[in-house]
Amino acid sequence: MQDNILEVKAVNKTFYEKVILENLSFKVEGGKIFGLLGPNGAGKTTAMRILMNILKADSGEILYNSEPRDKKSSIHFGYLPEERGLYPKASVLDMLVYFGTLNNLKKRKAQVEAIRYLDRLGLVDYSDSRINQLSKGMQQKIQFIASFLHDPDVLILDEPFAGLDPINQVVLRDILNEYKKMNKILIISTHQMDIVEKICDDICLINQGKVILKGKLNEIKRKFREDAFIIEADNPLTFLHEIDGINIIEEQNNAYKFTLNKPKLTISDFFNMTKGKIKLRKFEIVEPTLHDIFIKLIQKEMQNTNNQKVGL
Amino acid sequence: MKNLFRIAFWEFTKRFKSRSFLFNTLVSPFLFVLILFIPIYFFQYSAEVSTKLIGAIDLSGQNIAGELQSELNKNYKLENNTPEYMVLKISAANSDAYLNMVGELRAVRHKRDSIFTLYNNIKKERTAYYKNQRLKNRQYLLESSYNRLQQVREERELIDIELNRYQNALDSLYKFEAKKIADSLLTKGVINSYLTFTDDLEIEYHTKNPGDFLEWERFENILQTIAIKKRILNDKIERGRVLKWFRPVKIRKFHIQENSDREWNFYIQFYGPLFSAFLLFMAIFTSSGFLFSGVLQEKSNRVIEVLLSYATSGQIMGGKIIGLSFLGFMQLFIWFALTIIFIVSGFIPAHEIDYINMANAFYFLLYFFLGFLFYGAIFTTVGAVSSNEFDAQQINQFLRTIAIIPMLLSLMIFTNPDSELIRILSYIPFLTPFFMIIRIPLSAESLTNEIYLTTIVMLLSNVIVIYIAAKIFRMATLMQGKKPTWSEMFYWLRKS
Repeated sequence: MQDNILEVKAVNKTFYEKVILENLSFKVEGGKIFGLLGPNGAGKTTAMRILMNILKADSGEILYNSEPRDKKSSIHFGYLPEERGLYPKASVLDMLVYFGTLNNLKKRKAQVEAIRYLDRLGLVDYSDSRINQLSKGMQQKIQFIASFLHDPDVLILDEPFAGLDPINQVVLRDILNEYKKMNKILIISTHQMDIVEKICDDICLINQGKVILKGKLNEIKRKFREDAFIIEADNPLTFLHEIDGINIIEEQNNAYKFTLNKPKLTISDFFNMTKGKIKLRKFEIVEPTLHDIFIKLIQKEMQNTNNQKVGL
Repeated sequence: MKNLFRIAFWEFTKRFKSRSFLFNTLVSPFLFVLILFIPIYFFQYSAEVSTKLIGAIDLSGQNIAGELQSELNKNYKLENNTPEYMVLKISAANSDAYLNMVGELRAVRHKRDSIFTLYNNIKKERTAYYKNQRLKNRQYLLESSYNRLQQVREERELIDIELNRYQNALDSLYKFEAKKIADSLLTKGVINSYLTFTDDLEIEYHTKNPGDFLEWERFENILQTIAIKKRILNDKIERGRVLKWFRPVKIRKFHIQENSDREWNFYIQFYGPLFSAFLLFMAIFTSSGFLFSGVLQEKSNRVIEVLLSYATSGQIMGGKIIGLSFLGFMQLFIWFALTIIFIVSGFIPAHEIDYINMANAFYFLLYFFLGFLFYGAIFTTVGAVSSNEFDAQQINQFLRTIAIIPMLLSLMIFTNPDSELIRILSYIPFLTPFFMIIRIPLSAESLTNEIYLTTIVMLLSNVIVIYIAAKIFRMATLMQGKKPTWSEMFYWLRKS
């Protein structure tokens, strides 16, 4: 299978004298789901618009398998913008076929694919309905179909799960997994960190147009691990405060979050020291959530920016 | 390139099937004709459904009412050939007040007559005294009769004054009473209006409806002629000559054009070009209106972002312009086809209308295309910079108002299609299509050079507006919820 790689290389974009993207670089590998994350106004939409060729970068390159994106006209892109839009008075099938043909599908092929996807998402009975006769959720599904009807090589989805019920979330995830298996490039931008944790392999966190964190999700989580533990018992464990080398971070209803802050102290030593004193109910190694990492990093960034401003 | 045509095809089919296209193509022109002709119909025909009764109080003693009736009969007839106006002479001769005064006048006149008789008798008596020189007391008789004569003469003068006074009072009473009768007839709706004529030909017109200027204009014209005729006759000029002078003239109207010289028909020469300008207006604003609403809708419901991800902004704008210009051409061809059907069925007398020809059909297509590109590019820009529906509605209304201006201005052309002002205005791209399409059939001169020049001016203006539209369209359509400022737009024009 070919190694598909989409690379954003040192992309800069200013918009009416305001810097939107500054030296943005990241790499997306085929067969993996890539999460492009960041707070509101970070530049995600602009980055995606540049990837989609809707906007032109002031400098920098977009490479697909090491070749400039513009030169690879055979590469098809699929895009689901955050702000969904359809023609309210057009019929579902007509509109899907129109979008399909705009992506170089033959009319017949576009019809077949549209009906296939409509069937899969339970909308085949609405093929001839007008868009404005459908519910919001149905319109959202039509929008999905429009973005991957033409079997794109690169699929960029902005907030794909927003407003979807759990059943349709599963259907969408299945479709995304199929794309993943086909070694295609998948970029997702979302604020729903739990979803990112569930489906993304790689992430890139940007703030104010700059990359502040990127890499494999599990490595990032490992990197941000605090080496903290949670122990929960049936009896109060006040004696933990007296043990040298144990730092209690949080304490609530016989549950304690703590770190070991003496170099030679291991978790086995901890259990030996407390043997017989604890009626253990639960013990776990604390994994940081992406949500925590996101907030922590963004807050740190903001603090840095403020410090710089004060410094000026 | 393929996407350009795909977008064009989509825009065309989407709009071609729409109700508003059908309405603008088939219903609006007929509505326009109705709007044009209904007031004329009511103005000209509904007023003639029955003979109108016009009251006349004729104090002139010259039978003006009679002459007015005969002139009205000559000039205005209903469709069934009965007179449109009947002049009803209003007389107060039977009113009680008038009859009383007439009685009094008669008594005064009687008294005057007896005074006159007495005066004459005394005169005779005196003559007899004078002649008979042998009469006894002759001197005394002469003196006393002289005194009586003087006394009667004074009485005669007094009674003359009184008679004159009565006569005048009777005249004004007559007028007053006649007006009272006329007013009540007018209020009751028996007569439509009434006229009064005095002996020195002062004329009054009384009506309940001051808007019936068509009527009083007619009366004024006829009475003017009658008055002149009377005045000339009063100057003792031979009647035959006067009648000869007043023989009516009839003007046959001809429209001079370069190669032809045709009898002029107001309806064909005025309403024809006006109607064609309306059709052009409809065609341009139907298609460019679709362009405007399409861009606006795609921007407000965010389809534009999806489109921009599959096609370039140039393809999108170009596709829309091509698709909708085809729609406009389709509209024109439907109208051409309808025109041919009407000609074949004899509904339009094509042999009388020399401007229905292939060359003018071509100019119609040409000016449609130029006008559509011009207004379309402007409307696209405006659609792209509008930030929301409300904003857009306001702009839409403003544009509609602006759009009606060329239509209204084009009415100026009818008075003089070749005037300096009209020529200059024809080069303003906003007005060019409408002005030229009216001027071509009406102008007395060849407009070939002006057609070339205005086409060049329009083409150049189109290059400029389309360039600006394309630059702004690309950036403005991606902006959501915020309207670009003027400085931002200038920045895009410079940078992008």
